[in-house]
Amino acid sequence: MGIAHSIQSIGFLSDFSESVLAYPIVLSTHLTCIALFGGMILMTNLRLLGLTFKSITISDMVTSLRPWKRAGGVVMISMGLLLATCEAEKYAPNPYFWAKMIILGLIGVHALIFRPIVYNRTEELDRSPVIPTKAKVAAILSLVLWTAMFTMGRMIAYWEP
Amino acid sequence: MLLQNALVDALNNSEWAFPLAECIHIGGFAVGVGSIALVDFRLLNLGLRKETAARVLKYTEPWTIIALVFVVFSGGMLFISQAGIYLVNLVFPWKMYLVLAALIYNFTIHRKVATMENPSPLLSKSVALISLLLWVLIVFGGIFTGFLI
Repeated sequence: MGIAHSIQSIGFLSDFSESVLAYPIVLSTHLTCIALFGGMILMTNLRLLGLTFKSITISDMVTSLRPWKRAGGVVMISMGLLLATCEAEKYAPNPYFWAKMIILGLIGVHALIFRPIVYNRTEELDRSPVIPTKAKVAAILSLVLWTAMFTMGRMIAYWEP
Repeated sequence: MLLQNALVDALNNSEWAFPLAECIHIGGFAVGVGSIALVDFRLLNLGLRKETAARVLKYTEPWTIIALVFVVFSGGMLFISQAGIYLVNLVFPWKMYLVLAALIYNFTIHRKVATMENPSPLLSKSVALISLLLWVLIVFGGIFTGFLI
């Protein structure tokens, strides 16, 4: 617990967790990003599955929203880090927190695998008469990972040592 | 009343019912608000520029409606499990007024402008910004309901 205690004692983090308004504002921002950009990721996956946006090309869907999803992801993760580090001692033994971090890692692995073969080759996908299986696999895995991600996030609050 | 009591019992006596309802609430508003945000981003010229706002709305609307049904239903479950606490909460009633305003706005003004042939950029941009602002405020309202008791 030594490290966790040192982390949460860092000046601005302890100021932050003691503030009445700062904590809920950061948590709300974290959730706003989930709503806006998590929702966009989800709709992009539905497009890859061919379930909606059929007249909009996969290229347009993936690339035109990419800068926004990236910016949203950066805000989401920084807010999340702030929430976890300011209560590091509470988070360190929480299995749901670590499950969430593993899922975050898996989302990174998903990007490493599928970015070169799906998300960076959207024009190829649009030219194909049927949506290739690899794109559907990428979309389903992404949906599963993100659902697991926010579920674990919510469960963090329910664990008691 | 009987149904309500049964639901309240289920939510209060089972360890997983309340967090499950919360997860449905969060997943639902991610789809609901995210799909509305796509229309707003289009109206603001921030993405999906090759499509008209009307088309984006046409594709997203079924998802928005289904998701919002889940959000309202799961939110209702969360509410009745501790209705007394929510009713005296400082923030919760404001959140509900905003939800009502956002729902009416979304299916009237927002829908109307998104399906207009050639709305002025000022009109479509203001309509999109008001929509985003309303939904973001509602998310903040939800979190603050839990903090300002």
